[in-house]
Amino acid sequence: MTTVPVRPPLVRSSDRLIAGVCAGLAAHLGWPVRMVRIGMVVAALAGGAGLVFYAWLWIMVPTADEAARRDARRPASPIAPAVSAPTEPSAAVGPSFSGGTYPHSYSPYAYPAGVDMNGGDTSAARPAASGMYDAGTSFQLPAAPAAPGSAVPGAAAPQAGAWFRVQRVRYGKEILLGSGLLLVAGILIARQLGAEVPLGTLIPAAAILGGAAIAWMQLDETRRAGVVNKTKADQAGGWARLAAGLALVVAGVLVMVSGSGSWEQTGLALLASVAVLGGVALVLLPWGLKFWRDLETERAGRVRETERAEIAAHLHDSVLQTLALIQRRAGNEHDVVRLARAQERELRGWLFKDPAKDAGQLSDRIKSAAAEVEDGLGNAVDVVSVGDTAMTDRHEALVQASREAMLNASRHGGGPVSVYVEVSDGGVDVFVKDRGSGFDLQSVPEDRLGVRESIIGRMKRHGGTAEINSSADGTEVRLKLPAAVAENGEGKS
Amino acid sequence: MSTRALDGTAGAQQETVRVVIVDDHAIFRSGLKADLDPRVTVVGEAGTVDQAIEVIARTRPDVVLLDVHLPGGLGGGGREVIAGCAALLGTTKFLALSVSDAAEDVVAVIRAGARGYVTKTISGAEITDAVFRVAGGDAVFSPRLAGFVLDAFGTAPADVADDELDKLSARELEVMRLIARGYSYKEVAKELFISIKTVETHVSAVLRKLQLSSRHELTKWAAERRLL
Repeated sequence: MTTVPVRPPLVRSSDRLIAGVCAGLAAHLGWPVRMVRIGMVVAALAGGAGLVFYAWLWIMVPTADEAARRDARRPASPIAPAVSAPTEPSAAVGPSFSGGTYPHSYSPYAYPAGVDMNGGDTSAARPAASGMYDAGTSFQLPAAPAAPGSAVPGAAAPQAGAWFRVQRVRYGKEILLGSGLLLVAGILIARQLGAEVPLGTLIPAAAILGGAAIAWMQLDETRRAGVVNKTKADQAGGWARLAAGLALVVAGVLVMVSGSGSWEQTGLALLASVAVLGGVALVLLPWGLKFWRDLETERAGRVRETERAEIAAHLHDSVLQTLALIQRRAGNEHDVVRLARAQERELRGWLFKDPAKDAGQLSDRIKSAAAEVEDGLGNAVDVVSVGDTAMTDRHEALVQASREAMLNASRHGGGPVSVYVEVSDGGVDVFVKDRGSGFDLQSVPEDRLGVRESIIGRMKRHGGTAEINSSADGTEVRLKLPAAVAENGEGKS
Repeated sequence: MSTRALDGTAGAQQETVRVVIVDDHAIFRSGLKADLDPRVTVVGEAGTVDQAIEVIARTRPDVVLLDVHLPGGLGGGGREVIAGCAALLGTTKFLALSVSDAAEDVVAVIRAGARGYVTKTISGAEITDAVFRVAGGDAVFSPRLAGFVLDAFGTAPADVADDELDKLSARELEVMRLIARGYSYKEVAKELFISIKTVETHVSAVLRKLQLSSRHELTKWAAERRLL
């Protein structure tokens, strides 16, 4: 970390005095925030260049929240979970995507996004926001990450910087107000001393500037609202701020235009301007409405487009990858069947997923256990389920026992395995059937723990029963977990 | 997905069966044709709803292998084909065939009049067997379809075993449960100490209840349960 190959992206920091421009610029350039701020003030005094620059950055540069949101929408995230099969497919597809080329470019983006959403305004989160690429260290050394390769002299400076930052941010608004009052006082004193201060233009200009600043801050608020989920009360506050800003600007313009400052003239001008504004609004209203409607339809179109892109990304990451794999392994029938089964299962789950249904119910668990066995051993495991129930510890044991039974059936049966789960008021029944040559339970050696311990013993311990029926036509394992004992068991534990 | 409930003796004595394949994927049609037993004669093919109704009316096959999702017509797919051939239902039997095993698809096509439902992944031998079984007037239930039936009708038996359409009798429930567990008709018969013929009777009775039950929950259940 002696050189910084990539600069943090230029975003407006949430560590702000006015709009976070200086802090963001400092993070981007790797300079101390104080220096940037002082430089900006100096530039502002030099004919207002700093003001223009500041306003320009304010408009053009997104906030850290917005940038994080944009990055979060990148198709990076669906790639990893898309190929869900834990063994073959993901092992083969996985590395080329998540392990190989871009591993580190995803995680740093993910970090600040998460941090900002949870606590964008707490001081603890700020260092992380300004130190985008240093997710690891920035938590320990709040001020350091911005300047790993620049001219910060020692360890003491960052410490002091952090202290100043906290102080300044805490009293930021007060300091702003205080300096404003000092300015006013200075002007008044200058007038008293006889200096010619053009108050007639200065006050309205200040009012316009202040009002515009308030309104623009409001714009930031509404932009952030998408992330932070503002409440209604905040929105009301926002409207009040907008109105205040508008009133200030209008008043400033009026006073400036009317020039004299006499109330009658101002009132007349106010009336005239309101009339003009009303007339203009009347003319522009239909056009504005049309514009608004176009905007709405375009937005809806974009939503559809995003959905399409999401589907395309999913199909690309799962189906196309699997098809490519299948072509490469066309010679191995076993692999092809396994890949096709795994992909079919994944796609089905994605297409037919019922959002209203609770995830993690018993039937889901049994199905995912079946999917694991299927992926591991290559034999089809078909699950038919009737009814469903929420998981408890005892159901967990039942799932484990079922999994063991499926493993046995798939391993020794050698063909497709049928699993039937029935949940009723009386309890849960699970049947696992294969069509192998069968085996005699008595002849299974004592040291073979699979059947005896993992299936029969486990069911007994949890108040259920396991029965194994084996003949030359196949083997069926019947697991039963009565519901009545469930309440006793839960009462005890 | 396999339908092991299908092996057994049904239709083995029958000489040939005339079949029409309705599916919008030409690749699947030719693959299925190649897979079918020589005793099954494919007399026609169709790729859309309108084409299917025309071909079936012209060739009058014994069995129609019908995809659930089809283009054309009013958008009703396989259901619409069966409705369009309602006059032939006495002589022509329909066996639904689909990649989807979503409950609403299955139940809709069975209620329209199909005698059975199998998924496209089953083997040629199994499908041949299903064709003969349907041609012989029996119903073809896959484990999954049996699961749907149990889910839709509930697993509590009817109090009166007579002609109640909204509930399954205790015996019918037993048969359905065994089929859902992956038992073939023969194995069901052995397990319950009844003849295969009796098993077939029970399955047909369940199919009739599934088709005729006016129980509104059934439709509602199928519509709500979009997941298999």
